Amino acid sequence: MAILEIKEVTKSFGEKRVLNGLTFNVFENEIYGLLGPNGSGKTTTINIICNLLQPDSGAATINGISVSKVPKNQIGIVPQEISLYENLTCTENLWFFATIYGLSGEHRNKQIKKCLEAVNMTGNADTLVGKLSGGMKRRINVIIALLHRPDLLILDEPTVGLDVISRNQLWELILNLKKQGKAILLTTHLLEEVENFCSRIGIIKNGRIVAEGKMEDLRKIIHAAKLAIIESNNRIAIYKRAEEYGLTYRLYGGDLMIWLQKPMEIREVVDLFDGIPVSSISLKPVSLEHIYLEVIQNEDY
Amino acid sequence: MIKKYYYEIIAVSRRILTELLHTRNSLFFWMLFPFLMLMLFGFIDEGTSRSFEESAPGILIGAALFFSCLGGPIATIFAERKQLTLKRLLISPLSGISYFLGIFMAYLVIALGQTLVVYGVAFFFGGTFHGSILLGFSIIFLSVASYVGLGFFFGSKFARTAEDVNGPVAAIGVPLLVLGGTFFPPSELPPYLLKIAYLDPIFHMNEAFKGVSANNLGWSEIYDHIIFLIIFTILSLLMGIYSYNRMLNEEKRL
Repeated sequence: MAILEIKEVTKSFGEKRVLNGLTFNVFENEIYGLLGPNGSGKTTTINIICNLLQPDSGAATINGISVSKVPKNQIGIVPQEISLYENLTCTENLWFFATIYGLSGEHRNKQIKKCLEAVNMTGNADTLVGKLSGGMKRRINVIIALLHRPDLLILDEPTVGLDVISRNQLWELILNLKKQGKAILLTTHLLEEVENFCSRIGIIKNGRIVAEGKMEDLRKIIHAAKLAIIESNNRIAIYKRAEEYGLTYRLYGGDLMIWLQKPMEIREVVDLFDGIPVSSISLKPVSLEHIYLEVIQNEDY
Repeated sequence: MIKKYYYEIIAVSRRILTELLHTRNSLFFWMLFPFLMLMLFGFIDEGTSRSFEESAPGILIGAALFFSCLGGPIATIFAERKQLTLKRLLISPLSGISYFLGIFMAYLVIALGQTLVVYGVAFFFGGTFHGSILLGFSIIFLSVASYVGLGFFFGSKFARTAEDVNGPVAAIGVPLLVLGGTFFPPSELPPYLLKIAYLDPIFHMNEAFKGVSANNLGWSEIYDHIIFLIIFTILSLLMGIYSYNRMLNEEKRL
């Protein structure tokens, strides 16, 4: 069942159209990764879901109810920036947000304790937030959104600034929430996390979703079994040779990559470019990063 | 629904008071300031019980509450922006009314603390509160409400940096305190300045509270000051709410 439904949403700021018929759903038991370059409309989308902005047309609903009417405690949002009261302890911060989200009495205390335990912060419960490390602050920043057990959780770059251990702990927590049936919308620039943890991925470009699906669906965007990364001071010759063999080539972040339609050994690739000065050749599987760059850079999308 | 507002107001006000308790500095100086001012003005003016009785109202309403209840909300809004918690509040179920009333309640508690300090000193030196306590409390209530309203106005309009917080308070506030008779009786002002002082809300706060506290005046004798105060309080609240809402609309777009 779709918890969040975004249907044909448009939004302009003056002459600039930021969202242009944006459509996607996030279902229960799902982590949906929303990817896009800066200015593609991700923040505007989140602001519309949180009812901070009204769309010009189209609809955004949570559990079938328009976001303008849905009770705010159905949404939990982890903002990109750490937004905590520095002069309150962790428990006091959690108490304040739990209370304004309608929790009270023993239930509130239990939730606070449970959330602190979930991110291993029980030992720092009574420490002023201003005295915590950046990683610890980020963990508190995250659990504030979980206190009231929302149906939809929006994570905006949740792991930025976290060390590997804290990041893994946080992902464990997020995956647990998914198991509990929550719908999770994630925006991040860490494509590896999206590839590893998201059930479905949507790539937003010019205010609309241009590619969407599970990782295996998105892999079809690049018709290649593997990618050959070639370093050469004569790229023109590489392009020509690739064209001769009917191979597609791309420049991804300065790296020249050849799409290999069938699995090949390095020796075979070296043979393909025989006679051209090549300083290195390596083979890589197609990753989300390549798919993302293909979608963002290719004007066909 | 009332329960929701009740819990929200308590949460906001408890949060502000807890933050102040943790930082201590503001609370300490907000209590020290009226204590020192009253000692100073009490002794400048002969050091008799009467001099403390006459100095206490101005020090409380004009000086102590001015800095805590006007400067406090400005600092609260500034901190809310600096810590990026404002947007988090915007997407929460917290209503704007609860937020405002929560801040008002927190500063009312501080105002009551300052009242205890000021009158504690005055009583220690033999002074007395002569008039109706209810009327006195009503004037304190109106003063706090108008200061908090102005604090919201200045806070949401100007408070983007620490300097922004101090600027308007010093530039506009201090002349109003002097003109309003906080530090010396308005009767010492030249006639043309006295006419201008009638437009100064602090003048009416001081005159009304001094009338009740030191001279046992009743409602009928100070009603013109109270009417001015009520109108000013409504105006400052409207200004505060209007500019706060404008600020929220800007924040929503960020």
